[in-house]
Amino acid sequence: MMTYIVFILSTIFVVSFVSFSSKPSPIYGGFGLIVAGGVGCGIVLNFGGSFLGLMVFLIYLGGMLVVFGYTTAMATEPYPEAWTSNKAVLGAFITGVLAELLTACYILKEDEVEVVFKFSGAGDWVIYDTGDSGFFSEEAMGIAALYSYGTWLVVVTGWSLLIGVLVIMEVTRGN
Amino acid sequence: MKPPIFITIMLTVISGTMIVMTTSHWLMVWIGFEMNLLAVIPILMKKYNPRATEAATKYFLTQATASMLLMMGIIINLLHSGQWTVSKDLNPMASIMMTIALAMKLGLAPFHFWVPEVTQGISMSSGLILLTWQKIAPLSILYQISPTINPSLLLTMAIMSVMVGGWGGLNQTQLRKIMAYSSIAHMGWMAAIMMYSPTMMILNLTIYIIMTLTTFMLFMHNSTTTTSSLSQTWNKTPLITSFILVLMMSLGGLPPLSGFIPKWMIIQGLTKNEMIMMPTLLAMTALLNLYFYMRLTYTTALTMFPSNNCMKMKWRFECTEKTTFLPPLIVMSTMLLPLAPMLSILD
Repeated sequence: MMTYIVFILSTIFVVSFVSFSSKPSPIYGGFGLIVAGGVGCGIVLNFGGSFLGLMVFLIYLGGMLVVFGYTTAMATEPYPEAWTSNKAVLGAFITGVLAELLTACYILKEDEVEVVFKFSGAGDWVIYDTGDSGFFSEEAMGIAALYSYGTWLVVVTGWSLLIGVLVIMEVTRGN
Repeated sequence: MKPPIFITIMLTVISGTMIVMTTSHWLMVWIGFEMNLLAVIPILMKKYNPRATEAATKYFLTQATASMLLMMGIIINLLHSGQWTVSKDLNPMASIMMTIALAMKLGLAPFHFWVPEVTQGISMSSGLILLTWQKIAPLSILYQISPTINPSLLLTMAIMSVMVGGWGGLNQTQLRKIMAYSSIAHMGWMAAIMMYSPTMMILNLTIYIIMTLTTFMLFMHNSTTTTSSLSQTWNKTPLITSFILVLMMSLGGLPPLSGFIPKWMIIQGLTKNEMIMMPTLLAMTALLNLYFYMRLTYTTALTMFPSNNCMKMKWRFECTEKTTFLPPLIVMSTMLLPLAPMLSILD
């Protein structure tokens, strides 16, 4: 099973994306987001990015989605729409899953397929060779780079986060 | 909006566009667009009514979709070239996606549907920022990728934009919607010349921004938003009335005024590249634009609309409206044609 773990996690990833794209109420959509985030972490972890996976779990799931869950609970409606509540959401969900299944079947049937890039069979899903990484973990080098020659990026992202807060305050002010 | 917050937000709008224009890394281009979008939302919602909120929501949704498409194009380019540098040799698939994304950001047809509705729902000054400053960033990226843009895609969008801008603006009386359709048509002209001479696109953008800035400032001076209230300007400020006359003729592209320079240069550029049908169609559909500018001129400066008798005996107070930079802008919007021979330094 461990050889197919990335494949299984990717499948759960796609299905949870479809689950919140079919637009149920935000509570259920948030649940889909949590599953997608957690499983995405798993995929990153499987490629050796242990620090980044942990960061996503802690900050994204444990910080941002928790706040999202609380605000959604404050603003919830008396009868939220789940995936089996009406035909619209269920139909959208089934359409999404069917589209993904058909894409996967199309890619697996042929020997070599070029959708945006060349893809040759299920083997490409199991082993994805990103090249020779040498002795250093690429992920750790990337994070180190962010704080050495990526200083401008840190400044811009920090400023954007501050502006995000100010904009949200300004938009929800209301008078 | 409190002044410190307003200054911070305007600073972010400006720096977002500056980042897009000056960076050489595709990720920073995307970040610049997102910073710009996020910070312009409270500016669109300056008036606290549901119409402004709806306009800001529509703007956010379309621009966010366009940013997603742009990111897809960036990643496809990364996949095929292996590096993040903004250069002029793009993968064709990436180039098509980026062109469509930037056309959505500009409001080129067939992605123009948000422009009139968003412009109508917001205040005049927000509309000014939307139609002038927000065009600079996408056009600068199109300028940088112009050698690899698929010609049929861009020229189709250009001719459709000029047609939509012409026919769409015909039945409008609201000034903001008229300016929105005018913007769509001008973007079409700019897209048409982008393949052959990106410098002329910059020329068109500069003159378009000067003219639109002046138009909006004249409308804001009178606080008019409809054609019927514009028709009462002759009594309030007769000078503004004559300026609107000349400015509308300049926007329509009539010869002795500076609005003619970009149209002339674009038609010259297109005909030198052996395209005959295209500039003919562009020039003919620009006449539709000229028709509704003429209608504004007619109601403002050439006729006196029916009004009651008390209106003609106005007690005139001293004007307290600030007209920052308006006289130089009016001169630049109408009298630049004699400087056109200076364009020969561009060769």
